[in-house]
Amino acid sequence: MQSMSDFEPKIVAFVCNWCTYAGADLAGTSRTQYAPSVRIVRFPCTGRIDFMLLMKAFENGADGIIVSGCHPNDCHYTSGNFHARRRWIVFRSLLDFIGFDTDRITFSWVSAAEGKKWATLVNEVTEHIQAKGPFTDLDKLDFIQLKEQYDEAITK
Amino acid sequence: MEITTITSENIPTFFNNLVKSGKVVVAPVLKQSGKVFFEPVQSYDQVSTDYIQTAFSAKSVVFPKVEELFSYVRKEGDFTITSHLTEVPETIIWGLRPCDSSAFNYLTDFFLKENPDAYYKTRKERTTLIAVSCAKADAACFCTSVGLNPGSTTGCDILLTVMGDIYYAEISTEKGKAILDPTLFIDSPEKSKDEYLAKVETKFSMDQIKERIENAYESTEWKHESMGCFGCGACAFSCPTCTCFDIQDEGNTESGKRLRCWDACGLGQFTKHASGHNPRPNQTARRRQRLMHKFKYSVENLGIISCVGCGRCIRVCPAHLNIFENILNVTKA
Amino acid sequence: MIGFKEALTKQPVPCFIEKASDVEQLIYTEDCKNNLSVYLHKPEVRQAKKIGILANISTLRALVQLISENQFWDIELTVLTVNDLGEVLLFDTLEAVEAYVQANFPNYTEEEIKLLGYLESLSREERWKYWTDQFANCIKCYACRAVCPMCYCPQCTVECNQPQWIKLSAQTTGNLEWHTMRAMHLAGRCINCGECGRICPVGIPVHLLTVRMNQDLFKEFGTRSGYALKGDYALNNFKPDDKEGFIK
Repeated sequence: MQSMSDFEPKIVAFVCNWCTYAGADLAGTSRTQYAPSVRIVRFPCTGRIDFMLLMKAFENGADGIIVSGCHPNDCHYTSGNFHARRRWIVFRSLLDFIGFDTDRITFSWVSAAEGKKWATLVNEVTEHIQAKGPFTDLDKLDFIQLKEQYDEAITK
Repeated sequence: MEITTITSENIPTFFNNLVKSGKVVVAPVLKQSGKVFFEPVQSYDQVSTDYIQTAFSAKSVVFPKVEELFSYVRKEGDFTITSHLTEVPETIIWGLRPCDSSAFNYLTDFFLKENPDAYYKTRKERTTLIAVSCAKADAACFCTSVGLNPGSTTGCDILLTVMGDIYYAEISTEKGKAILDPTLFIDSPEKSKDEYLAKVETKFSMDQIKERIENAYESTEWKHESMGCFGCGACAFSCPTCTCFDIQDEGNTESGKRLRCWDACGLGQFTKHASGHNPRPNQTARRRQRLMHKFKYSVENLGIISCVGCGRCIRVCPAHLNIFENILNVTKA
Repeated sequence: MIGFKEALTKQPVPCFIEKASDVEQLIYTEDCKNNLSVYLHKPEVRQAKKIGILANISTLRALVQLISENQFWDIELTVLTVNDLGEVLLFDTLEAVEAYVQANFPNYTEEEIKLLGYLESLSREERWKYWTDQFANCIKCYACRAVCPMCYCPQCTVECNQPQWIKLSAQTTGNLEWHTMRAMHLAGRCINCGECGRICPVGIPVHLLTVRMNQDLFKEFGTRSGYALKGDYALNNFKPDDKEGFIK
């Protein structure tokens, strides 16, 4: 079991190409130092982000997620981020209803000029997830053998 | 066949001793939803006795809904393949109905007759079947139409029949003898079970069906009989003799596993070819396949009819489709 | 004509009348809960072109929603219902169906409200335990999908295997994926007939997911499914000033 200070969270960031990705680029070219925990996945627009991708990121080892795009009214495709916003409102509510830890998902608007904001955001999220610890809710959920079901029944 | 009796008072002791012996004991449990399912239990208090039939069969003990065939992991450039088959525990299934235990005979024939399946073989060898005969039946039961009865000993190791305040036990196999407790069970002369068994009305004559089903494939009644079916897998999954499965690989280049999971011929994509062609393109064809398989094809392939008349498909079907009503209508003279 | 008849087991079952003489079989009782509109997607039924349907209030609501989604462009639909007084009503126009639905808009059932209240009283971890325990029992029979009138995609997302988007094996994580995805695809479209939860062979209250979604959508965006023929699907539209408090 890693101690809290050793734990290096894996953060997956789903970002839009025209704003947040460019913003992250700016943070890089400005040589802003920020936590190396984030893995960026580039989309043309936040409107393209399928809600299942968030769940799949957690299943494949992510401890935290950032979803970020253009500010409202600034979407490169006019209204993609508006549709995304509605989708996130609904999906977040569903996740909360089934007991998923929505605190591990951070949504934000980061524009192409906000390199500093991106760095701050990643740092904040990394610290936050570090404090929460690794994501283990999906571990040990899949029973394959009857013996495991039985063992689980004994410990209940 | 050995015949013994045990008092109803001693049944919990016998049961709890089986649990203490270290075996996994699977018995019917009443869930919050009001349905009864087979689950591993710790003591006799958890066992449900006041029900006619469980929602699902106990086939998941020998043919789990998801079974890991093997897993692989890459370490230092080489792959290690692991199978968990040796970890299968000794299991006792308590509370099967005679129709269910008869179904195990079909499963054994299917999995072991021609190309023995190592997974089924290991699990079945480590499973003991204790059946309890039926004192009650409902409108969906039709075991007597397919050559069985509520007190049949086919397929089980021990059959218990409740007779007032004693349980009459018929032990058919060595496995059954091995788990009996001689301090609780006393030898008994043979008794008639008739007054303690449910009366199940025959819905059809199997001989007549066998004869008429030869020509049933072309019957124009199939379309009407299967109109209500919307192609879910509920009937296949609850059926004690349905054995169709799918092999799924889950993983990536670093690690993964190969799984065998339940599949159903009623699902639309079941027979879809890689070319895109589907030889059973509509629900009529798929429903026809299911019924013909149960009553004709399994007889041709394995020599036994694969329907045991448990009625689960009727109870679980969202459209209340009725297998014996369908069979009667498509084989009308 | 799609209606109900009495089965050999005495339950009401969906029946399909093609000859006028078979009309005698039709019954209508409180137990006629099936949402018959799901059959309107079946090619064998649609072939008939002129279809009559005996609908309960949920089915009527489903019809309104399906019409708002343009699903009956090639068939002529005749709709009948039985009201609370036991009278059989024949609707002359689809607008009449809409008016009837709006006048008799069904509320959430007591059971749904009670169970939702219970779930909302639990902590997040307790809710997670509840749902993962439920989904551990799911066998992926897809009965919930099959019985839903809104699930009419010719090829469901589950059937996409390049890549296998939703796992086919009935393990808890895959089951969670399936139900979450289904709830999202139905959010704002589900008409709360409750059939999915009622017919689940293992007793999972699947309908609660979409009931909760509908409640949320009404609260956030004021939209309701199966209310108007014109339809107002929350996830198709947006308002530039949609409010939320969680985006940084």
